[in-house]
Amino acid sequence: MSTGTPVPDDFLVALAQIATRPGQPRYNLQRHLHAISQARAAGAKLVIFPELSLSGYLLNHGVGEAALAFDDPLLEPILAASRELTILIGLPLLEPGGGISNAAVLCEGGRVCGVHRKLYLPTYGMFDEGRFFVAGRRLEPLSCALGTFGVLICEDAWHLSSSVFLSHPPVDAVVVMAGGPSEVEEGAVPAGARRWHWIVGAMATTSVTPVFFANRCGWEEGVLFGGGSWAVDARGASLVEPAPACEETVLLAPFSRPAVAWARTLIPIPRLERFELWRHALEKVGA
Amino acid sequence: MRDLPAVHLPLLAEVLQQFLAGELAASGLAGYVVGLSGGIDSAVSATLAVRAVGATRVIAMALPGPTSDPRSLADAEEVASWLGVPLELRDLSQPAAQLAAVLGCGDDRLRFGNLLARLRMTALFDRARPVPALVLGTSNKSEILLGYSTLFGDSAASVQPLGDVWKTQVFALAEYLDLPQRVRSKPPTADLWPGQTDAGELGFDYRDADPILWAHHEAGLDTGQLLAAGFDPPLVRHVLALYRRNRFKWRPTVVARVSSSAINIDRILPRNPEP
Repeated sequence: MSTGTPVPDDFLVALAQIATRPGQPRYNLQRHLHAISQARAAGAKLVIFPELSLSGYLLNHGVGEAALAFDDPLLEPILAASRELTILIGLPLLEPGGGISNAAVLCEGGRVCGVHRKLYLPTYGMFDEGRFFVAGRRLEPLSCALGTFGVLICEDAWHLSSSVFLSHPPVDAVVVMAGGPSEVEEGAVPAGARRWHWIVGAMATTSVTPVFFANRCGWEEGVLFGGGSWAVDARGASLVEPAPACEETVLLAPFSRPAVAWARTLIPIPRLERFELWRHALEKVGA
Repeated sequence: MRDLPAVHLPLLAEVLQQFLAGELAASGLAGYVVGLSGGIDSAVSATLAVRAVGATRVIAMALPGPTSDPRSLADAEEVASWLGVPLELRDLSQPAAQLAAVLGCGDDRLRFGNLLARLRMTALFDRARPVPALVLGTSNKSEILLGYSTLFGDSAASVQPLGDVWKTQVFALAEYLDLPQRVRSKPPTADLWPGQTDAGELGFDYRDADPILWAHHEAGLDTGQLLAAGFDPPLVRHVLALYRRNRFKWRPTVVARVSSSAINIDRILPRNPEP
């Protein structure tokens, strides 16, 4: 947590929907700096990037080439920019004891102020993350000068228990950083974005928490990513029109702490969670 | 189940164009080279490329052989003209005949067809080199799954924008992209010998085979389930036989792994890293 300045009640959040290239970190860095510049010019206090935004997603064994530690020079321009607004990026994090995490790194005031390591590593279908990353062990909110955020990386959000956990105690908002591949189907919205919008809406309405969803767009190694970044408030109302499927976009959405508090006054769903049912279910399966 | 699921054609075209633009940008090369056969696959592929990167960055080639239908060249010219790209004609008749004589395969229709397809591949990659350009593939998902292609011939390319697009959808894309009517309506052919058509060689139309392929490859129905769903039994058996017999073409080269760092097995790395 940074010190000195009061926590603002209302501020703009920028969702940086970018198209990254695996194996081209300098190119990706330039996309970050461009989006940060746009977000700052628009008055955003927080800018959120997609999963593995600095490295690209489909790295496979290239994760070894792309993994960073916090003292990597590639991070310096982003840390410098974080003196003016809070920045959440995704990168493969070289762990001191060995292994590489799929990490969300919160930068503020010129330093790293929080890290979330992806909990659920999909290893099925086209996904092979369990082969290249180590899974995070904890789901803990990240705090900064703007508040407390539950950060989920892509598949983390497909386990709806994540948003329940982040409601006890409640975070100010849930942030989803996604690298969601997509298919083309009958509708004008890519299948991936359509599914994500269901998840984001369900998460917001059931946890009574605003959700800010930053997805990537474009192609990597022949795989399409579906864009459609979006934000909804704590009652599930859209805070902004979803970003288009195929375009790099900096989407701006408002965050309002009083609105969150009012929604939670009206709708007590998270407070009524019956954990004895969870306990019973866990005991039943021997977990 | 009896029809392919619908696909949003404007979105499909848009994302494929973005794919082509992105691959070219990531490669750092200057453009695409495509062989225009006068058929629908190459016409749709070239159209997507022109829409993606502009006509000035697409080189179209016509590569007829001694047995090509003259009408195919006229169709290729019509497509090139419609796209606003010049058509570079390289007649492969003489080199094909000479090479066939050297190899002794001139009387074997299939071997000669493969030879011509590989000569076309040679011409396209050679043309791409000095630009430098990527070779734009024109294979679609149906023919890849059926193995209806020449290994290292028409299947060889830098990128395959239609490689996950069913032939039925290629027909629909051609309508959406408003390709010249003649190209949209002519029967698909590799044009490797007189009178050749895909349907004549395969024994079925893509519009009949695609729902079977989709139901098996994507939805997981086995032969019994396909028959129970009402598909024509001989057609099901024929399509699935091709699907299994030609699967080696899906991954044409197998590397013998004798270390713990075998390429594309133990080391799957991004194709276009920064220097």
